Amino acid sequence: MTSLTVQRRSAVSRRRRRFSANSPSWLFAAPALVVYALVVLYPAAAGVVYAFTDWSGIGQDMSFVGLANFGALLGDEQAMGSIGNTLLLTVAIVAVQNGVGLLLALGVNAKLKSRALLRVIFFAPVVVSPVMVAFLWKYVYNPDPSAGLNGLLGLSVDWLGDPSVALWSIAGMVVWQYAGYSMVIFLAGLEGVPKELHEAAMIDGAGTFQRFRYVTWPLLAPAVTINLMLSTIGGLKLFDQIFAATNGGPGYATETLSTVLYKQAFVFGKFGYSTAIALVLALFVAAVSLVQVYYLRNREVSA
Amino acid sequence: MTDLRDARVSRAQFFRMMGGLAVAAAATACSTKPETTATTGGGSAAGVDLKFLGVADQKAPMDELLAAYKKAKPEVRLTASFAPTDQVQTSVRTQLGAGNAPDLHVVYPGNGSAMSMTQIAKAGLLADLSAQPWTQSIPTGFKPAFQLDGKTYIYSAGSSVIGAVYNKKAFEKAGVDAPPTTWTEFLAVCDKLKKAGITPIALGAQTPWVTQLITYALVPSTVYAKDPTFDDKQLAGQTSFAQSGWRQAMEMYLELQKRGFFNDKPNGTTFEQQISMVATGKAGMAVQVSAVLPDFRKAASSPDDLSMFPVPGADDANQVWIPAGVVVGLGASAKGQHVEEAKAFIDFLGKQESINAWAKAIAAIPLTQDSSSTIDPAVQSFLPFTKDRAVPFMDQRWPNAEVQPVHFAVIQELLAGKSTVDEALKKMDEAYKK
Repeated sequence: MTSLTVQRRSAVSRRRRRFSANSPSWLFAAPALVVYALVVLYPAAAGVVYAFTDWSGIGQDMSFVGLANFGALLGDEQAMGSIGNTLLLTVAIVAVQNGVGLLLALGVNAKLKSRALLRVIFFAPVVVSPVMVAFLWKYVYNPDPSAGLNGLLGLSVDWLGDPSVALWSIAGMVVWQYAGYSMVIFLAGLEGVPKELHEAAMIDGAGTFQRFRYVTWPLLAPAVTINLMLSTIGGLKLFDQIFAATNGGPGYATETLSTVLYKQAFVFGKFGYSTAIALVLALFVAAVSLVQVYYLRNREVSA
Repeated sequence: MTDLRDARVSRAQFFRMMGGLAVAAAATACSTKPETTATTGGGSAAGVDLKFLGVADQKAPMDELLAAYKKAKPEVRLTASFAPTDQVQTSVRTQLGAGNAPDLHVVYPGNGSAMSMTQIAKAGLLADLSAQPWTQSIPTGFKPAFQLDGKTYIYSAGSSVIGAVYNKKAFEKAGVDAPPTTWTEFLAVCDKLKKAGITPIALGAQTPWVTQLITYALVPSTVYAKDPTFDDKQLAGQTSFAQSGWRQAMEMYLELQKRGFFNDKPNGTTFEQQISMVATGKAGMAVQVSAVLPDFRKAASSPDDLSMFPVPGADDANQVWIPAGVVVGLGASAKGQHVEEAKAFIDFLGKQESINAWAKAIAAIPLTQDSSSTIDPAVQSFLPFTKDRAVPFMDQRWPNAEVQPVHFAVIQELLAGKSTVDEALKKMDEAYKK
């Protein structure tokens, strides 16, 4: 018995040693890392330089302005206002997308005959280009009472044209598109919940809800972590759908940090300032997701 | 299992392979320089590839003129691509910024947008066209749109006007016999249309640039008719949007909405819907720029149903002024590999017959006219104004690219009832000062 343990332990340490010294596994990643560095890291780092200049996006004229762009951002009423929209949109998307995704996952995980088909249907919007989705929903949201959602629900709402509704309409189309994505990750999580635990809980007399609350839900934690992080990042960076559906309007109602930085660069010709906003946005997204992952990881349990 | 083991590559082989791939990828990434100058030897004219990136409005005339140019100069191959107005700034500016601008590309006249002549010429990216004969006949009033420091940097075929595109059949149905010539008459016409169950004015304010057209149509009468030097005074800081007839124009804009003359929910309606409403007679008219008249005609069952009239922004017909702007044009890239060939193409566009053809395709008034010039019957009613009661589109003299988008946004807010005229004008004045 003891010898066997010792043997196994030495085998483990041998393997570990082999991986760390003789077989430097990171070398396998090296080619990919080189490409990544060339096409992502280098341009990103080079881009950061522009954040400290007043470059117009065209021509050679450029001078370093230090932190002026970041100072300007603090005083920029419109950019600051867009932060509120960005956060509201993110919260709405994270909450609804994952809620709907979880319900869909629980639904198609049940023993339905059509569950394979349903999975495909719910996942289908994910693979459609976001711009296409925006155009599609522009028709769905058409205020003409005989068309789209208004005709369907018998409402008279100007989904994309009313400043107090437009932001939520955008959230709606994003949720429609990505709920299937959350669903797939939750489904993977559900696969990992052992049947035995459910059976044991049933024997103990737990009902459907109790089994979900005390067995499924805690074991889904890793899937929740991934889903929350991905949807938070997606929400904070959201651009395509807004740009194609409302272009930040009506007025400034759906303006987010992404659309503001786009406009600063390509409409106003303030490339330097726009890069500064992009940098702030990137750091903000990184910070939020790190905090989120750290917090959620600590709550994860395993079966 | 066995064949997998047999097929195994050694680690060294694997790395060599992957390293090779990475180098290859890097090499392709660096060599994406456009392949040009396919020089055929022998001293004869070499084949030249020119690239043109334009805006959708330019497609019809460019297609036609390109075909003509091909016949005259078969050795020049010009590939043209077009983007919608909203996207052209991104695509062209990105290419300009990256240093691989197309040889010829869209340029907006004057100043006031990021793709305008002044902004790009200042960056040294536009070739000087001043030596070309057609530039000698640019009308004085249009020079600020074409020239910076006395040098011409943009070609444009002529001018377009902003007015009401109207459906004659819808007007007949509502019992309107003649287009209105004063503001009061204009309101009366709208009233008649409304009573006949026709939406008087189609407004597609979800498409940002459409929001500006009604203000642009009214401001010549409410601002410039009273003070033709308004732009100079505003630049000198002696007046502002808030202190001028801009206020009146915005109030008139909102009055149209208050009286229920627009389609329901204009902020949720697009330019395309606006076109279709007028073309099908669901709406009586739309305030639009004459350059898109061909789009309206395409959508109508019979193109002759559509015509245009100047929007009367004053109660005295003699005080009605109109906006007449140089149509979006093109410039030659100063940094391209084929500057001379690109300029030669523009020189060709400057010939009277080319100007005529271009102007005809977009219902514009040709820059210079001869006996073969035709002027679209729909814009005939604007001609009496063009001599001394027309002003360029407002943005062409705005000092930066920010005023225009602010104008779009405040109009949408006004239409949604989320702002007041005071706030709107204040925001525009702030953007003007930036």
